[in-house]
Amino acid sequence: MIRISLVGAGLSAAAYGGLLLAQRGWANFEATLTWLIGGVVLHDALLAPATLAVAWAALRLVRRERLGPWAVGVVLLGPLTLLAIPVLGGFGVRSDNPTLLDRDYWAGWGGLVVVVVVGILVARHAERWRRSRVPVSVPVSVPEPISVEGGAHGPRDGGR
Amino acid sequence: MRAPIPREDDFRSRLRSPAMAARIGLWLGICFGIAFVTGLISHYAQQPHQPVPFPTRPSWGYQVTQGLHVVAGTAAVPLLLVKLWTVFPKLFSRPPRRLAELLLHGAERVSIAVLVAAAIFQLSTGLANTAQWYPWSFHFRATHYAIAWVAIGALLVHVAVKLPLIRSALASDLDSDALDRPGTTRAAGVLSRRGLLRTTWGAAGIATLATAGISIPWLRQVSVLGVRSGAGPQDVPINKSAAAAGVLATATSAAYRLTVRAGGHALSLSLPDLQAMLQTTASLPIACVEGWSAGATWTGVPVRDLLDRVGAPAGSDVTVISLQGSGPFRVTTLPANFADDRRTLVALELGGQPLSIDHGFPCRLIAPDRPGVLQTKWLTSLEVDA
Repeated sequence: MIRISLVGAGLSAAAYGGLLLAQRGWANFEATLTWLIGGVVLHDALLAPATLAVAWAALRLVRRERLGPWAVGVVLLGPLTLLAIPVLGGFGVRSDNPTLLDRDYWAGWGGLVVVVVVGILVARHAERWRRSRVPVSVPVSVPEPISVEGGAHGPRDGGR
Repeated sequence: MRAPIPREDDFRSRLRSPAMAARIGLWLGICFGIAFVTGLISHYAQQPHQPVPFPTRPSWGYQVTQGLHVVAGTAAVPLLLVKLWTVFPKLFSRPPRRLAELLLHGAERVSIAVLVAAAIFQLSTGLANTAQWYPWSFHFRATHYAIAWVAIGALLVHVAVKLPLIRSALASDLDSDALDRPGTTRAAGVLSRRGLLRTTWGAAGIATLATAGISIPWLRQVSVLGVRSGAGPQDVPINKSAAAAGVLATATSAAYRLTVRAGGHALSLSLPDLQAMLQTTASLPIACVEGWSAGATWTGVPVRDLLDRVGAPAGSDVTVISLQGSGPFRVTTLPANFADDRRTLVALELGGQPLSIDHGFPCRLIAPDRPGVLQTKWLTSLEVDA
């Protein structure tokens, strides 16, 4: 029952959105459709294969058990960089309005990259230090494997 | 021999699993829900005729809802990207052979295509709009609003289709492999599931901190990607300059007059006339549809006092007209409940100083709990239809 109501509500909402869009005329619809399709194509045909390619290359360049921190870095900085495109590009800058896009965005972005990379390096060293302090004879649970996993078991097939 | 196009079970990572998709999808759905509801509020606030009047209290209401709108949309970017990554193998799932199943499968694929297209559209156009970048020819506000309905509708359908799977996934242990796709390896990968989840929350957190300072003043120092630093003439940023509005000459002319008219009664007031009237000071935020906001202290004449001078009865909607020659907000409607609120001012001063030209000199409208685009600058006329 819940599912049927959800489908009903969903189809109604989407149809209403379609109606609103239709009311704006054909030219508006065409331009919208280009962006709707363009977004999916950019993701499915460009971004997703690119992440596969990066993962493929990384697995061949760096040992799997050392890749964790860099995967964390990619997840933290990749989306952040994408969402920063409008400000990094400064496309909306207007000479008559100095209050808009009034930061040095490349410096800010660079700062965030440095913070994330330093954070990852610190976390990695802290974890190594923690591991090195675990006495071998006492059974202790492995520290939270947020960055590196599978180190004790050697490389395993987990890829794509 | 490997097919040139991958199959769903070629993707073996434990991270591309329903256990992950359901958990990230839950938060993504919450972000989209917040953005949708706050978007509806913003859209309604801009309607010239409102069956239920938009409230004037709290004065910071719109500041909060529109700030939330942009924050939720921004936080959704990493969530959407990781969510799409976890379900990417489904793109290559083989259609079933039997016709009935094939039709259902096709319908679901279409609903997901619509959802993904609408979600990417909303986030990318919304983000570009915050930076006032319009690399498209469609009408932003109307289209962003229309596609919001499409996105939320497709999301509801998607949740309905996946509900049993979502429930099982959320109820089971994160590391359970009971719901995994065929072909998923049980071996540990580069990151654990918990590791990727925490990283995803971290990415959403960093995206929020890096941008939310446009609406949360104490975050300004860390919001290095915010579209505004908060600086501006009289410590308040501006959205449209006097030069862009083409009012530099008319706004500073000695012949400037504000016309107030109700029915047959009209009043023509110069700036000194307005300055000679009883002044009221109000602390009201200016909150833009693009998410940024700034608190400020405004001094001027309550709109109600001006309406009283021309005999406009309480409960009258007011047509507000700007000196600017064109633009969608040159002529707007100030609903009666705003016009009658004593904090709604024809402001002459900002922070104790005469308004700068870019803030609307010689006078502008400022009202509580109202979208910035409707806080009309360079006022030329207030009119009440008889």
